[in-house]
Amino acid sequence: MAIVRLERLTKIYERAEAPAVKDVSIDIGHGDFMVLLGPSGCGKTTTLRMIAGLESISDGILSIDGNFVNEVPAKDRDIAMVFQSYALYPHMTVWDNLAFGLKRRSIPREEIERRVTNVAATLGLSEFLRRKPHALSGGQRQRVALGRAIVRHPKVFLFDEPLSNLDAALRVSTRGEIAALHRRLGATMIYVTHDQVEAMTLGTRICIMNKGRVAQIGTPLDVYHNPANTFVAGFLGNPPMNLLPAVVTDDEGGCTLAVGSLKLTLPPQRMPPLPAGTTVTLGIRPEHVSPHDRGYLQGFPFSCEVVQIERLGAETLIFAELGDAGARLVARSGGDVAFGLGDRITLYADLSAAHVFDGAGNALHLQTQSR
Amino acid sequence: MPTFRANLLRGGVRQPWGTIVAFLLPAITFYVALTAYPAVRTIWNSFHKVLPRREEFVGIANYSELIQDEIFWKAVRNTVTWASVSPVIEVTVALLLALALYAKVPGARFLRVAWFTPVLMSYIVVGILWMWIYNYDWGPLNVLLRAIGLGKFAQPWLGSPDTALASLIVVTSWMWVGFNMVVLLAALHSLPKDVVEAAELDNCGWLAKLVFVIISLIRATLLNLVVLSFIGKMKIFDLVWITTKGNPLWSTETVSTYVYKRAFEWTTFDLGYPSTIAMVWFVIVLGAVLLLTWLFRMREKLEY
Amino acid sequence: MPIVTRTLVLLALSLYTAFAAGPFVWAAMLSLRTTPEIHLDHFAFPNPAHWEKFPDAWFNSNYATYFTNSLQVVVTAVLVLTIVGAMAAHCLARYRFRLNRIIYFILFSTIIFPPQITIISLFQILVNYGLYNSKVGLTLVYVALQLPLTIYILESFFARLPADLFDAARIDGYSDWEIFWKVSLPIAAPAVATTVILNFILLWNEFLFAVVLITDEANRTLPLGIQRIIGDTQEDIGMIATGLMIAIVPVIIIYAFFSEKLIQGMTAGAVK
Repeated sequence: MAIVRLERLTKIYERAEAPAVKDVSIDIGHGDFMVLLGPSGCGKTTTLRMIAGLESISDGILSIDGNFVNEVPAKDRDIAMVFQSYALYPHMTVWDNLAFGLKRRSIPREEIERRVTNVAATLGLSEFLRRKPHALSGGQRQRVALGRAIVRHPKVFLFDEPLSNLDAALRVSTRGEIAALHRRLGATMIYVTHDQVEAMTLGTRICIMNKGRVAQIGTPLDVYHNPANTFVAGFLGNPPMNLLPAVVTDDEGGCTLAVGSLKLTLPPQRMPPLPAGTTVTLGIRPEHVSPHDRGYLQGFPFSCEVVQIERLGAETLIFAELGDAGARLVARSGGDVAFGLGDRITLYADLSAAHVFDGAGNALHLQTQSR
Repeated sequence: MPTFRANLLRGGVRQPWGTIVAFLLPAITFYVALTAYPAVRTIWNSFHKVLPRREEFVGIANYSELIQDEIFWKAVRNTVTWASVSPVIEVTVALLLALALYAKVPGARFLRVAWFTPVLMSYIVVGILWMWIYNYDWGPLNVLLRAIGLGKFAQPWLGSPDTALASLIVVTSWMWVGFNMVVLLAALHSLPKDVVEAAELDNCGWLAKLVFVIISLIRATLLNLVVLSFIGKMKIFDLVWITTKGNPLWSTETVSTYVYKRAFEWTTFDLGYPSTIAMVWFVIVLGAVLLLTWLFRMREKLEY
Repeated sequence: MPIVTRTLVLLALSLYTAFAAGPFVWAAMLSLRTTPEIHLDHFAFPNPAHWEKFPDAWFNSNYATYFTNSLQVVVTAVLVLTIVGAMAAHCLARYRFRLNRIIYFILFSTIIFPPQITIISLFQILVNYGLYNSKVGLTLVYVALQLPLTIYILESFFARLPADLFDAARIDGYSDWEIFWKVSLPIAAPAVATTVILNFILLWNEFLFAVVLITDEANRTLPLGIQRIIGDTQEDIGMIATGLMIAIVPVIIIYAFFSEKLIQGMTAGAVK
């Protein structure tokens, strides 16, 4: 298994105004499951394709196992790719689809047969070997696409949104299969998706991308609890983190913020002291905002008006407006709530879990975070 | 999911020029050698007298001779008449037939296949068949006319300068109505059902529905067929050659038959003059096609 | 539709069907009758049906020669045409380079050209290269003639294939050339079949280029042959009718098996 290193990888398309990928540097260790996560158009697929050799690299260095591979053609990079659309050869049987890549590499016939039979058995495809792709269900085609990659015993597995074309139930089960595959093979895997659930559950590390650049790299929980900027903060979590515009007041200590006409003082671990008048963004996740007084040590009561309630059964989401701040607050509550639309209620926010971001959107924690 | 074209637009791996050239070379070779070069040579010819063993530059003498050439202009009139009248007949009749089939007449599938058959036949076969049909003594047309008491209308259809061209136009219509019908039927079937149904709800009589709704929806296809038919008739050669060869008295002479005659069946051998005719004709055809498409596009824009 | 209209419509349709199919039915009947019989009554049903006229026409007039010539020329032309056309179409659909659309446009626009633009010069060229009056010469011209249409049909098909398929093949280790033969062409089989059938019929019936470029009796294609026979034996209607039937047999066979494909192939470009 391989170490893949991207150093300042850049991709500029002809006649494009902005680079599709800019200065992306990622280290992927042996056996890592690295997820490239981001909204569409953020450059994650382009980055993956550059790693695969399907796109040329405009600038930067790509190395696999210490070898500089910028100019190496895709077929010689010892990678295998699972495509979003599966890309199965429609005119070939499942067997031929699995064996196609092997035939080309002068692998002896017995070895090809052995590998294909084994992989087919592992993936439950043995009875479909004589069928053609159009006679398979979506889930089965997915597995053939997986099998085609596995059979190659590559150094790196690349996945390009492989679950997007599956229905919800299949997605969950296939996700589990991919995770199991990773554990079993211990392979290095690079996985592109826009779905944060996939990223959080599958990745050993996540790289969040936005507009062609890396927004943050870290383990899933790390990135979730310590977002480096407002983009990451707002991207992970469903519903996303509450981001409220605020201004530093001239109170002593420099840790008091004014959100509209409300003033709240943050505990010193959550933000460094700042000069009065600095514009910041206050972030707090819905799970840290509750309609019930939970006895937070650093709780802050927000008085607001309910504009929407979503009852999901196991929990309830409350959307409320902060009046003069003009901002919205989303809160989570286990179980049901007693109030209704239009009611004025108090939402208690746990300020010890608050995040503060500067005017440019970067996090202002005092604690060091791992990268 | 990106197709080739989407990927093309995004730009990808550096282009493998060797492969591209290898793939394109055979086709380009054929094209250059047997289409582009001959076309250029025709231009060259048109400014020369091209005799068996030598060529003589004559400047625009051929062109000025062409302007005075009565036969050429007669041929042009014939061809343009043909190309103008045919589309009207062919598309209108085809539309009516397509509408009839669309309205779910019994045996529609069989009829569609049957009516398409004339399109597949060589003009030679068709020409011979219709020469027999038009035969003055025993051809089915005259026999039929005499049988129903209209014997005085029996004509030597292909032998009389007044009726020859029209008779040939009927033949090409007979051939191509089937083609147009099939295309229009496909176009009708591809119409979104909700629009047609909405028209029904609006309580239009079926004639109004036909004219306003359906025709305007398939306008693009209709235009296409008209242009195709027009171009086809401007090129016509085979049918005339096997039936009348331009007779009687140049009444069925087309530009293509005239070019052939001037090149290969004239008293003096000169390939320059027919080349000139070809050039002028090419410009006329191109101009007509552009004019047609522009006209229809203008109308479309005005309607909205 | 009200009953009166419906009846009128049905009547019109029946009349039209008689109009469209009538000539063929008549020709078929004539082909099975001897000329003297025909002269007695042009419209009688063949009784007895003289099937022996077919082998007779085949062997005793030059129909056999014309038919085989046509077969040789058309089959070869279609074969070459399909491969050359598919290669070019694949390249134009798949690779991006500056000249791509220009080349496509140039190749495609020649469909509007009236044949007169090239035919005189082609005559000169073939004479210069000793290919005049030869089946080889005619075959080459036929390939060039049908290339634009072939490339047009195949290019739009190749362009619709998903790009991922080719990325996968590239990663699997296949070169562009191998991808063309092992992936593109097999998948494109239906479109290729359509162009083959289409080109076959168009070239089988082709007359103008043949009449200009072939004068030798031994090399005549079928349409030329029929024209010559008409010229020689105007009155032998029975024999001519039989010959016509022979001429349209391949087309009818193809149509019988592939009518849907053929109809779609010929009309697809016209529907917008």
